[in-house]
Amino acid sequence: MGNMVEIVLEGSHEGIEEFIERLKKDKPPISRINSIKKDIFEVNEASFTEFIIKESSSSSSGTSVIPADVATCSSCLEEMMDENNRRYLYPFTACTDCGPRFTVIESIPYDRERTSMRDFPLCSSCMEEYLNPLDRRYHAEATCCPICGPKPFLYRDGILKTHDPIKMAAELLDDGSILAVKGIGGTHLVCRADDDEVVKRLRSGLGRPNQPFACMSPDLESIESYASISDVEEEALTSRRRPIVVLKKSRDYCLAPSVAPGLHNIGVMLPYSGLHHVLLRYTEAPAYVMTSANRPGDPMFIENTEIIGGLQGIADYFLLHDRRIVNRCDDSVVRFRGGEMAFIRRSRGYAPEPYEIPHVAGDVSAICLGPELDVTFSVLKGGQCYVSQHIGNTSRYDTLLFLKDAVDYLMGITGTEDVDVIACDLHPQFLTTSYAEELASRFSAEVLRVQHHHAHALALMLDAGVDECICIAADGVGYGDDGTSWGGEILHCHGSDYERLGSLMPQRMPGGDLATRYPARMLLSMLRGRYEGDLQELFSERYSDYFPHGEREIGVVMRQLESGLNTGISTGTGRVLDAISAALRICGVRTYEGECAMKLESEAFRASGKLSMPFEVKEKGGRYILDTSAILLDVMELIDRGEDRAEIAHAAQKAVAEGLAEMAVLAADDAGVKCIGGTGGVFYNEAISLAVRDYVTERGYRFIQHRNSCAGDGSVSLGQAVAVALRYR
Amino acid sequence: MSHGAGGEVMQDLISDIILSNIHNTRVNGGVGLEDLDDGASIPLGDYEIVISTDGHTIDPLFFPGGDIGRIAVAGTVNDISVMGARPLAIANAMIISEGFPGEDLERIIKSMDAVSRETGVSIVTGDTKVMEQGKLDRMVITTTGIGVVGRGETVRDSGLRPGDKIILTGSVGDHGMALMAFREGFGFDTDLESDVAPVWGIVEAALNVGGVTAMKDPTRGGIANALNEMADKSGVGMVLDEDSIPVREEVKAVSEMLGIDPYEVANEGKVIIGVDPEYAEDVLAAVRSAPYGEEARIIGEVTDDKHVILETSLGGRRILEAPVADPVPRVC
Ligand SMILES: [Fe+3]
Ligand SMILES: [Mg+2]
Ligand SMILES: [Zn+2]
Ligand SMILES: [Zn+2]
Repeated sequence: MGNMVEIVLEGSHEGIEEFIERLKKDKPPISRINSIKKDIFEVNEASFTEFIIKESSSSSSGTSVIPADVATCSSCLEEMMDENNRRYLYPFTACTDCGPRFTVIESIPYDRERTSMRDFPLCSSCMEEYLNPLDRRYHAEATCCPICGPKPFLYRDGILKTHDPIKMAAELLDDGSILAVKGIGGTHLVCRADDDEVVKRLRSGLGRPNQPFACMSPDLESIESYASISDVEEEALTSRRRPIVVLKKSRDYCLAPSVAPGLHNIGVMLPYSGLHHVLLRYTEAPAYVMTSANRPGDPMFIENTEIIGGLQGIADYFLLHDRRIVNRCDDSVVRFRGGEMAFIRRSRGYAPEPYEIPHVAGDVSAICLGPELDVTFSVLKGGQCYVSQHIGNTSRYDTLLFLKDAVDYLMGITGTEDVDVIACDLHPQFLTTSYAEELASRFSAEVLRVQHHHAHALALMLDAGVDECICIAADGVGYGDDGTSWGGEILHCHGSDYERLGSLMPQRMPGGDLATRYPARMLLSMLRGRYEGDLQELFSERYSDYFPHGEREIGVVMRQLESGLNTGISTGTGRVLDAISAALRICGVRTYEGECAMKLESEAFRASGKLSMPFEVKEKGGRYILDTSAILLDVMELIDRGEDRAEIAHAAQKAVAEGLAEMAVLAADDAGVKCIGGTGGVFYNEAISLAVRDYVTERGYRFIQHRNSCAGDGSVSLGQAVAVALRYR
Repeated sequence: MSHGAGGEVMQDLISDIILSNIHNTRVNGGVGLEDLDDGASIPLGDYEIVISTDGHTIDPLFFPGGDIGRIAVAGTVNDISVMGARPLAIANAMIISEGFPGEDLERIIKSMDAVSRETGVSIVTGDTKVMEQGKLDRMVITTTGIGVVGRGETVRDSGLRPGDKIILTGSVGDHGMALMAFREGFGFDTDLESDVAPVWGIVEAALNVGGVTAMKDPTRGGIANALNEMADKSGVGMVLDEDSIPVREEVKAVSEMLGIDPYEVANEGKVIIGVDPEYAEDVLAAVRSAPYGEEARIIGEVTDDKHVILETSLGGRRILEAPVADPVPRVC
């Protein structure tokens, strides 16, 4: 069958039982057994004489298995580094244990003729391996060799003549060039990470002044020259999924400061494709910037002509190959907090492996479209939730088109022809919301709109396996069921329901989304009416450079706060952390998502923790409220007292964390719930996440965090799927 | 109601309560109520009579660049014009609060007169009521306009076809941003001014060339609303070159300080014209030589996609959405 393995074998009862036991124990490393069903037929005499594998049938039953991409295995690597092997330095070497999967699959079942490898008919040597049950490459759909497989080439105004394009690319990199390198599921912009000048040139070309760049190093020893690696981090770095792991920079950090400016950590990965292995074998630097080749907000370029056309003026050279990328798939990113992993982005190496939720899902099928930024979507079918690769910012037209294509595609490879429910966010302006309506009429499906933070909470609860908890949902923004912007919420979640039992103090956002870009607006808003001195004077003196139109703009914002013109209400934790960051003059303009809060965390990381700050939780309008203005007033006072900036950052951040935790404890006490969870992008912050954990566990509660899902918006579509399952099972 | 009032929330109110309860909405197969066009038409013999009506309340009554009188006449003249009809006459109903200053009223009437003379439109009938003090905020003016156009020659919002060029007749956001700045007492030391003006001259020049497929004046909700409405009603999309949409520096500055998109605020003297590509350059030239049309530009073209897309100089494409009354933050 196309989506399961049927084994017909003959033998004694004991022999068959032993076979099944060994199948479980000695199965190939990347395989996973979901379930085993057996039927016994009694026969009188043995009749089987040979071992054969029959061609996949195109019929399918139940749910499909679509494998994720796997990093080059050690056996293949050995061959690639062996001068006498016919695959010596061949960058597309793969076997049944490794190589591209999801990124090359066009349709199911997964066989070579339905992948982009069908463009490369096997040569006789490869065919022999492919047909030999005893060979590592037996039915390895992505196998190939220098004779029959894809070939790399180097491009600049035409294909450059060289017998070794990868070696030449390595030399160009080491000489300070920027290269676009087409890989497995996408394209990277690559340059030396120890050369400040070239990194800055890449930044200006891309229009990304500050966003941290991920790096690739040839091996762990090289990484240790600029970052520290814990045991669990090493395990993640070297796993066959090869995510980018966010590591702490070491004291003797030797890379360019512009790689991850203003941050105490850096995203690092090890080579995961043959091409990377060969390339980094020739290079000399400890690390290379490897950032997705896309215009900010747009999908990565994956087609050769688009790569060349779209990156003109950014990349000096292009290291390309002639294999089509069927499915764009960005690198995954993980981060550890106190030894516990969470996904920042769950994509290459993981997607679209499903989350199993048969106990809640029944047989309802759904498409869940996520929020707007950092979108993934999910297909819920037969108790499995297939969460897509990273899609991105769907307010961008090209990303929206990518989403639409990817939805059709994932439906195809999961064999989903019809759906009962389309889930989306509650936000009325998200383009995913209008796309949900479109899909609903296409499939005559019902639309379920799920509150953003409830979706966060449901994803966490699925991850942790609990069905009731008090959830702290802390992030930048999400549309609340009262029409205001939420993001610092205490939700009591049970079944398919939730109640909002607490939140940060509602604050005005003068200028709406503008207050996200310029956090000093938020600071002004939070201090207004509470600060005893002259605010206009304070801001003119300390923060006028944080307003693009200077002092005049400060006056405008003050009046805007009076008249209420375009000053939406937010309880977002992100806005509070931004305001603290601005108050301390750590960050005055946000050039990438989370910048001000991330830099605040990095500043606080330097602190000894000698300062502490009180926080105040009140009850108002039937819920607990943390007075965030009071925290900002304290920050201002500590600044005036001349305290150290890092210490204030640390104390303020901790006050926000413990304030949230205290509200959660009060709510848990009221509701008689013993479990408290933390979700939302703020829980990537290690200090906050640990402070909350300690606070609630010290008071006798169980604390749950994301381990196998994203704390941020990448798992919202998963949470939406859980909401569908709970509502419609 | 917030700045961009007139967006999707208003549309819902109109369709849910008003349209569903009125049954006779069309005469002789002309443009009727539920078409929600700039006006209606009544075919009679070789002609169609075009009618449009508009109630005007505005705060403040006098603002940089105009007053309620100028808006009341120009606004209705413009609604008739963008139906492709020559405006002929205006009926003017005024409700005035008791104690309203006589000299203010005179100023308002004089400015109505000025626009009517400028466009050759007569104010042929009217009604004036005075309401008890405190029952009404100063004054409301309702103007109804009548125009005429050859039978079958009305220009609809819904006439765009893939390939058509989109002409915008000048800078955007001036009226809304000027009013907002003035009203909120933000005290900008700018020369921000409303663009309120009658556009018949522009429209006539374009129609004389030919090839016009659709027209709309981007008032409430700004060009974001008008472009989306045109695309929606025509069942098409658009690709627009963002760099060619003129926004005055002062408007930009105020918009950057208030966080309000100049594309989402009202214009009172601009037209969006859809033109057959073969006529586009000639129509553009004609519009440019007409009064208030000097800054006209071709800003993009019609596609068979369903979205209105802005292309920016940095190479990205974003979707221009119809504004909503109360925007909720969406950026993380
Ligand atoms: Fe979120
Ligand atoms: Mg029209
Ligand atoms: Zn291998
Ligand atoms: Zn071969």
